[in-house]
Amino acid sequence: MSESTTPAGLLIDRVSKDLAGRTIVDDMQLEVRAGELTCLLGPSGCGKTTTLRMVGGFLQPDAGAILIDGVDVSRLAPEKRPTAMVFQNYALWPHMSVFKNVSFGLRLRRLPRREIRDRVEQVLELVGLTHHMNSFPAQISGGEQQRVALARALVLEPKVLLLDEPLSNLDAKLRVRVREDIREIQQRVGITTVFVTHDQDEALSISDRIAVMSGGRVEQYADPTTLYREPATHFVASFVGAMNFYTGTVADGAVEIAGGVRVPCEGARRNGGAPVEIGVRPEDVMVSTAGDGAEAHVLREIPRGHYKELVMQLGEAEVRAFVGPEVSTSERQRVRFARAVVYAEGVLRPSTEPAPLR
Amino acid sequence: MSVVEQAAVLPAARPRPRPTARSVALRSLGVVFVLALLVFMVGPILWLALRAFSNVWPYPRFLPSDWTMKWWHSVFADKSLGHSIKLSFEFAPVVTVASAVICLPAAYAFSRFNFPGRRFLLVSLFATNAFPKIGLYISMAGVFYTFNLMGTFLGVVIVQLIGTVVFMTWIPTAAFSSIPRSLEEAARDAGAGPLRVFFRITFPLAAPGIFVAMILSFLASFDEAQGTFLVGIPNYITMPTEMYTLVLNYPEQAAAVFSILLAIPSVILMSLARKHVMGGRLAEGFQIR
Amino acid sequence: MVLPPVAVVAVFIGFPVGAAIAYTLGKTGGPNSTIALIAQRQHVAKHGVTFAAYREVLGNAHVRGDLWATVWVTLLTIAAVVVLSWAIGLYVRLSDTWIARTVSALSVIPLFIPVVIASYAILTFYAAQGFIKTLAYHVGWHSFPTLGYTMWAVVIGEVWVNVPFGVLMMSSGLNSVPNALIEAARDSGASLPQTIRAVLLPMNVIPTVIVATFTGIYVLGSFTVPYLTGPSAPNLMGVSMSQFFQSFNQPQQAEVMAMIVFVLAAGLGTIYVWANMRAAKRASQTS
Repeated sequence: MSESTTPAGLLIDRVSKDLAGRTIVDDMQLEVRAGELTCLLGPSGCGKTTTLRMVGGFLQPDAGAILIDGVDVSRLAPEKRPTAMVFQNYALWPHMSVFKNVSFGLRLRRLPRREIRDRVEQVLELVGLTHHMNSFPAQISGGEQQRVALARALVLEPKVLLLDEPLSNLDAKLRVRVREDIREIQQRVGITTVFVTHDQDEALSISDRIAVMSGGRVEQYADPTTLYREPATHFVASFVGAMNFYTGTVADGAVEIAGGVRVPCEGARRNGGAPVEIGVRPEDVMVSTAGDGAEAHVLREIPRGHYKELVMQLGEAEVRAFVGPEVSTSERQRVRFARAVVYAEGVLRPSTEPAPLR
Repeated sequence: MSVVEQAAVLPAARPRPRPTARSVALRSLGVVFVLALLVFMVGPILWLALRAFSNVWPYPRFLPSDWTMKWWHSVFADKSLGHSIKLSFEFAPVVTVASAVICLPAAYAFSRFNFPGRRFLLVSLFATNAFPKIGLYISMAGVFYTFNLMGTFLGVVIVQLIGTVVFMTWIPTAAFSSIPRSLEEAARDAGAGPLRVFFRITFPLAAPGIFVAMILSFLASFDEAQGTFLVGIPNYITMPTEMYTLVLNYPEQAAAVFSILLAIPSVILMSLARKHVMGGRLAEGFQIR
Repeated sequence: MVLPPVAVVAVFIGFPVGAAIAYTLGKTGGPNSTIALIAQRQHVAKHGVTFAAYREVLGNAHVRGDLWATVWVTLLTIAAVVVLSWAIGLYVRLSDTWIARTVSALSVIPLFIPVVIASYAILTFYAAQGFIKTLAYHVGWHSFPTLGYTMWAVVIGEVWVNVPFGVLMMSSGLNSVPNALIEAARDSGASLPQTIRAVLLPMNVIPTVIVATFTGIYVLGSFTVPYLTGPSAPNLMGVSMSQFFQSFNQPQQAEVMAMIVFVLAAGLGTIYVWANMRAAKRASQTS
C-alpha cells in the first residue's frame, strides 16, 4: 500500500494465528516505517491485541514472519527481541519501587550502577516522574502508573515500542492528556510505535497511520485524514466516525434514496443507475430553511456543546446532521449533501465517488 | 442503663420492641455472643495455663489456692522430655523444606499450565485427605518394612510429609494463580529469562501464600503424633507423641506445663502468618479451579 | 513438575491404600505379608476375595455403636460449625465495630494451638472439677452434668478445632460479595434478613459446601480429639480403629473400619468436588 523508501521499522509479513480453534489473525500484512506511530484500531476480538502480542514475542505466529529492521524475529523469545511493551493494566511489579521497576531490565544487563541511575533519571524526567522515583506503584495515581510503565519500556531503548490499550483504565479527561503526552514523547524519541486501541478518537488524534482491523485482517491502512474522508470499506466507514447510510442510486448532482427522495449532492456523477450504498458524514449534511434541498422533518435536537446534532426524517429514512449551535432550526428543513461516498458490495467505488466539495 | 439491662435479659418478653429498643437488644445480644465465644474459645486454654502454676486447686474455686513453679522445674529436669523437644524442632523444618521442594513446582504447574488430567490430579491429591490416617499408617507399615524405613529418621519425615502435601500444593497454586500473567510477561519483555522471571517476579509475589503453606506445614509436622508414634518408635519420640504419655501418666500440672511449651512455636509462627491467613490466602487455596 | 508430589502420594498413599483394600478382602500376600504375620483373627481368601472381615466387623455390635456415634458426631459438628461460621462471618461482614473485630480475632485462636493441647485443655475445662462445673456450682446448678469423657466433649472439641477454618472460608466468601450488590438489594426494599437470604446465601454456597465437607472429613478421620476427650466406648471410629490395631492386634479389622470411614468421607468429598466443578463451569460460561 505504501511506497516508502526507508527500510521498514517493522514488517508483519503474512502472519496468521489460530487460538482455541478460531482464526484470530488471518494472513495479515502490515508495514510500520521507522519512527512512525501506527494504531491498530478495531472492535474487541478483531485480532489487534493478538497481533501486538506476536510482535512482542508472547505468541508464536502459526504462519508468516515478523521482521524488525529487516531481521526475522519470529522465533525469538520476548526477552531476546528489541521490543518493549506497555501493558493494558500497566503490569508494574507491586513489590518494587518505581526506580526498581524502571531499572529492572538495566540491572539484568549488569550495567554499571552510575549508568543505570543516569538512564533511569533521564527517562523518568522524560515522563515527568522524577519525584516519584522511590514510590511504590500502589502509592501513585493511575496516570502516573501509566507513565512509569512507559518509562520502563523506553529505558531499554527498544527498536519498537508496543502499547496495548494503554489508556483504557484512565478517566476521559486524563486519557486525552496522557495520549498527547505519549505522542509527544514518541515524537521526541523518534521510536517506531504500534499502539492498540478500540477508541477511534484516540487513534485519529495521535497516529501517523491507522490500520483498521476486522476479523483478523487489515481493512484499511491509511493516515487519519484519508481514513476519515475516504473509508475504504463499509466496515471502516461505520467504525470510524458517524455515518448516515442509504441504499439508492446516484444521478448527476444528486442522490436518490429509498422512497424516491432526491437529495442534491455536489459533484455527484451518474453511476449507471444500479443501486449502491451511499454514506454521508453528519457534518456533510447541509441544513437550511429554504432552497432546493430535499424536505426533512426534525425529530430531535441534541445539544452537544460546541455543535448541535439534528435527527431528521428524510422520506422513509433518518438523517443525522451536525450543525453549528447558532443555526436556528424549524420543524421543516431543506437538506443537501455536501459530500457522499459510495460503496458497492461493501467496498469504496473510486470511479463513482463524488468529487469533494471545496 | 436500665433499658440496656432489660433488653438484654428479656429479649423475647416484648415481641415487637420499638426500633431503638430493638437495636439496643441486638447490640446486647452481640455482647452476650462475644462473651460466650470468649469463654468457648479462650476459656479452655486459660484454664489449662493456670493449672501449670497451681499447687493446690480445690473444687469449686475459680483460681488455685496455692501457686507454684515446681512443675516447670520437674519438666525441665526430665531429660527425655528435653530430647523430644529437640527432636520436634529437627523434624518440622526438614519436613517443611522437603514438602516445599516437592510441592511448589507442582503448584506452579497446576496454576500456569492447563495440561490434560490437571483437574483429576488436583482432586486426587484431595482424595488422599479423605482416607483415615490410621488406616493409611497400618498398611503403610508394609511399604515401610519393605523399604527398611521403620524406626528411621527418613521414615518419620515421610510420614509427616504426606500430611502436608495437600495444602502445600493447594495454597501456593492459588497464590500463583492470583498473579497476573502480564507481570511475568513484562519481565520477559525487559530481558529476563523464564527462570529469572520466576525468582525475581513470581516467587516474591506468591511469597505470602507460600509462607502460609510453609507455616501450616511446619505446624502439621510439629503436631503429628500418631504416624510418628507408629513409625518412629522407639528411636524417635517427638513432643506430641510424648504428650499422649504425659496426659495419661503424669500429674495434670506437668501436662499443662508441657502443653504451654508445645504451644509456644505454634503461637509464634501463626502470629507471623496471621495477616496473610486472615487475608484469605488460606481460604483461596480450597477452591479448585 | 507435577510428578514429584504425585509420585510421593502414589507411593506412600495410593499404593498403601490399594494394598489395604486388597487386605480387607482377604489378600494377605505381597505388600500385606509383613502385617499379616503379626495379625490375629485374620480372614484369608484362598481363591478370589472374601468379605468375611467386613461381615465380622459390621456384625460386631460395638463397632456398629462406634459407627453410629461417628455419624452423629460428624453431622452435629458440621451443623454447629456451619452455623457458627455463618453467624461470625455475617457479623464481621455487616458490622465494623470493635465487637465484630474481637469476634473475628477470637474465632481463629484454635489455629494457634496444637490439637493435642486443645483436646487436653477442653477435657479439663469440661471435666468433673473443670470451669464449667465450677461455674454451674456457683450459679446454684449443682446437678449440671460432667461433659468430660462424653460424646458432648468430643463434639465441643471438634467444633472448637474446626471453627477457624469455617470462619476464614466464610469471611473470604462473604467479603468477595461486592458492597454494591448488598446495597442494591437494600435499595430495592429488602430488609437485612431478606438481603442475606436473597444475595449473600446463594452467593456463598461453595464456601459453605467446602466448610461442611472439610469439617466432616476431618471429624470422620479424627483421632486426637475423641481419644483424649471422649468416653472409652462407644467412641469415634478413628479411636476404635487404632484400638483394634494396637490393643487387639487385628490390623485387618482396623483396615475394614478405615474403609468404611473412607467410603463416608468419599461421599462428602464427592459433594465438594461436584460443587466446585459446577461453579467452575458456570464461571467459564459467563466469562
